[in-house]
Amino acid sequence: MHITEGFLPPLHAVAWTAASLPFIFFSVYRVNRLMREKPETKLLLAASGAFAFVISALKLPSVTGSCSHATGTGLGAILFGPSVMALLGTIVLAFQTLLLAHGGVTTLGANVFSMAIAGPWVAYAVLRSAKGLKAPLAASVFLAAMLGDLTTYLVTAGQLALAFPDPASGIVGSFLKFTGVFAPTQLPLAVIEGLLTVVIVNFLREYSSDELQNLRFLPKPLVSEARP
Amino acid sequence: MRAIDHYAWTNRWRDWHPVEKGLPAISLLVLTLLLPPLTTAPLVLAGAMLTTVYGAGIPWKTLLSVLAAPLMFLLAGIPFLAVSVDFASGFDLTLSPEGLQLALVTAIRALAAMSCLAFLILTTPLTDGVLLLRRIGIPAGVIELILLIYRLIFVFSERALTGRQAQAARLGYSRLDRSVRSLGLLGGNLFQRALEQARRLEIGLMARGYTGELQVLPPQWKPSWARLMAGMMGVGLVGLASGWLARGLS
Repeated sequence: MHITEGFLPPLHAVAWTAASLPFIFFSVYRVNRLMREKPETKLLLAASGAFAFVISALKLPSVTGSCSHATGTGLGAILFGPSVMALLGTIVLAFQTLLLAHGGVTTLGANVFSMAIAGPWVAYAVLRSAKGLKAPLAASVFLAAMLGDLTTYLVTAGQLALAFPDPASGIVGSFLKFTGVFAPTQLPLAVIEGLLTVVIVNFLREYSSDELQNLRFLPKPLVSEARP
Repeated sequence: MRAIDHYAWTNRWRDWHPVEKGLPAISLLVLTLLLPPLTTAPLVLAGAMLTTVYGAGIPWKTLLSVLAAPLMFLLAGIPFLAVSVDFASGFDLTLSPEGLQLALVTAIRALAAMSCLAFLILTTPLTDGVLLLRRIGIPAGVIELILLIYRLIFVFSERALTGRQAQAARLGYSRLDRSVRSLGLLGGNLFQRALEQARRLEIGLMARGYTGELQVLPPQWKPSWARLMAGMMGVGLVGLASGWLARGLS
């Protein structure tokens, strides 16, 4: 769910950009170091970034009739880890703004925070803890992708609530309002995205465990399991 | 996506330095956010749209379709700015004049801001802007990464469309459960092929002595100060006119 250009008041737009910057800087620093150590990393990351963009541009089968897109935050966090995902996600979001007119320049910071930072970190944390609890892989991947997606949606609703508090019931009321409006599209979307991610991960484990080995340099709980 | 990228590369102002188009567009965007929207936004909207169509020669249809991109989001979000919820006495929905005002202001501000963005993305190819990122201290490696992603997006989206057509022809999207499975397989396939593509690129580049840097010839532009000044004067004019209008109305 992208917040459109000009929707947020200037102060909020600046504040969310400031909140996202440290994560992006850290990610730039990490990715840059990875690329200098192994030049081929650049090509791998480029292919992954382009993949993330294309996946997020594909229309999802939707239950409610409105057209909706996958966010790919969960999958990204599972495959590359959240610290790399911050930069990749930012690049993908910027491309979505510039090539598809989804989102905006002034709201990029807020969108990065919900989709490239909060979502992936939650997905990653869920994946790690589900793995710690010895949950089956499919279940942990499903939970990670679904909760990552839900986090993105809740953070976006929170950002809108902070920007437009309800005159009567304040920020809390406004938050409930925005979660309510977007729930009919976002809740089924989260479940579908979870299922989709499981199908993708299963496919990759079955047919490309060799390629997954290439991703070893990134923090990857999955690859260790994919290894025969 | 095709339409936006197509016009970005072929519009009348394609060969202008990106700063000449970017700086006025961003300034206008900032102006839209900072000044009172009721008087500023209509002027910005008109100015940006007319410049895009009559200046850069973008068809109305394309421009309007870009402006309509966030329509779903606005249609869902805006009405709920006008309505206020009260939990003090159960669940109370009220329509307040302040709420209506806020909804109206936000809607036209978003539209006006969108028109500035539309001008920018329809007149300036993405790669032109990316090359400027170097000036603000983004590492060269990351810029190469961005340019590579830009190139690969078009390669992969063609594959994705072909794959989707093939799946649809085999009734892969006839039911919800099939759609999820088909899309999952398509995604998995795409990723696998993306990794393969990366490896082939790597091998090909290694054979040509790749050490981690892609050497390309940056375009030799010179910003035209006259055009930049004209653009900024247009932005200033919109700002002044909106201030004058606001004074006149109050």
